[in-house]
Amino acid sequence: MDKFTKEMVTDYADKLLIGLTEEETNMVLEEFDIIDKNIDLINEIPEIEQVEPMTHCLDNFIYELREDEIEESIGIDELLSNCDDSSNDEVRVPKVVE
Amino acid sequence: MEYMNKSILEIHEALKNKDVTVKELIEESLKKSHYIQDKYNAFVTILDEAKETEVTDNLLSGIPYGIKDNYSTKGILSTGSSNTLKDYVPFFTATAISNLEKAGAIATNKTAMDEFGMGGTGTTCHTGTVKNPWDSSRMCAGSSAGSACAVAAGVYPYATGSDTGDSIRKPAAYCGIVGYKPTYGMISRYGLFPFASSLDHCGVLARNVKDAAIVVDTMKGIDKNDMTSWDSKDIHLYASIDGNVKGKKLCYVKEICDIENYPNASDELKAHLENFKNKLENIKKLGIEIEEVSVDKKLLNAIASTYVVISCAEATSNMSNLTGIIFGPRGEGKNYIEMMKDYRTKGFSPLIKRRFVIGSYVLQAENKDRYFHNAGRARRLIVNKWNELFKNFDAVVLPVGSGPAKHLDGSENILDKNTSVLEEHLQIGNFGGFPSITIPDGFINNLPVALNITGKCYDDENVLNIAYAIESSMNYKNQIAKEDN
Repeated sequence: MDKFTKEMVTDYADKLLIGLTEEETNMVLEEFDIIDKNIDLINEIPEIEQVEPMTHCLDNFIYELREDEIEESIGIDELLSNCDDSSNDEVRVPKVVE
Repeated sequence: MEYMNKSILEIHEALKNKDVTVKELIEESLKKSHYIQDKYNAFVTILDEAKETEVTDNLLSGIPYGIKDNYSTKGILSTGSSNTLKDYVPFFTATAISNLEKAGAIATNKTAMDEFGMGGTGTTCHTGTVKNPWDSSRMCAGSSAGSACAVAAGVYPYATGSDTGDSIRKPAAYCGIVGYKPTYGMISRYGLFPFASSLDHCGVLARNVKDAAIVVDTMKGIDKNDMTSWDSKDIHLYASIDGNVKGKKLCYVKEICDIENYPNASDELKAHLENFKNKLENIKKLGIEIEEVSVDKKLLNAIASTYVVISCAEATSNMSNLTGIIFGPRGEGKNYIEMMKDYRTKGFSPLIKRRFVIGSYVLQAENKDRYFHNAGRARRLIVNKWNELFKNFDAVVLPVGSGPAKHLDGSENILDKNTSVLEEHLQIGNFGGFPSITIPDGFINNLPVALNITGKCYDDENVLNIAYAIESSMNYKNQIAKEDN
């Protein structure tokens, strides 16, 4: 059995709320094979599992808490200006609880 | 008399001497914007209503520039070149752009890019392909394709860019200009559409090193809205450039630069590497020492997959707010899930969907260690190796890419099965947050090629000074692209 199947690709895409065409699914499948082979290049590095994964560029961040400051908020009209469906200062969506 | 093809210093001088007015500069930049748009498709929006600013002692005052379309601009369409945000007009301005505005800089357009920065060709913009102004059958590279095209074509002296893998530095190379991304966090990312937060950098495309320094001096600064920004008030990029580089030490990596590594090398690649080696000899004449160093091929071969895994994983998470519910065109469906899926399915291009699915896959609990964590481990080893080099050398100098701009025909944006280290090594600058600058270093088949200089974090002044000295030893400063060159 192939390591990667169309069902797997569809499942991963579905979790992201993305639909794929047949062509797109095939493209991802081909790419999975490439990535899987390439990841083996990483696994060839001796004792790779001993290394602490690096999650950020800089290790010397200084995190400072600042005083709370009251700032002017962005107006609701502005906030909703890019929303296609709103009513009475609220975003309108279909019924959520069914 | 044209001014938009001159350097920032020359234009500033002309404004001060009243040889030209701000109004005339805006008119020239807008006229060129429309001309370049027709020929090369470089823009999402041309700001025909751009307003004049006062000419002050600030070098950027009264001078037009371009903004990559993934920077939020209040009241101005900001799409990230994606259909998912094709009508999005932000209600705030990115800090870096705000800093330029305060200096009196005048934006005359928003530049097209690979969708959300997730491409390296300039062919995946929702407004179509950006063409290379040196040869319209070739690509600009990406993702800052429109910015590179416009600066190279003389629409203005500089444009902003963003760089997650090489998105400033590769297009700069293909378009014969300078591309600089400073140390991670020197410029606030607040208001920049995120792609992969641990790799994303703001930066600039310009036509010479001093101009790049002037612009980043203005864009940079600590920002309470970006916790990864840091205080750089003691760093003065432009003022520190003196061209004195005697005794500086550079190295290049044998496994990347040696033609023996590429048995099927094209003529363009051979010429590119030969040109690079010749330029190294010229650099030595400046009093700079250059040494060849060796890096384990296993590490170098891991660069591409490390980048793909980390960037796709972070992108998947960052783009989860694109639902079409509170902004973006509303999708259709019986419930909110269907609406979001409809919006995302129709809005994202196949390339982006591909990256997201890869990101989802590598983050699944059962896959996380093999892919995501191992990529993080490889990232650390690669960064450690480069930091080791920086103990002995001021910077690493390497050729950019495998030659001049690639042809648009057959430029499919899929990962190359033959992952060439030469094409991918600039990503190291993002892994480690290193200051990194690309400058043009010659021509092959009448098309520009470039070299890159990357140094240790916070050492931007040194890196730019070295770049300036090297630039001054060659004849490719301030060049304007012309197809009939």
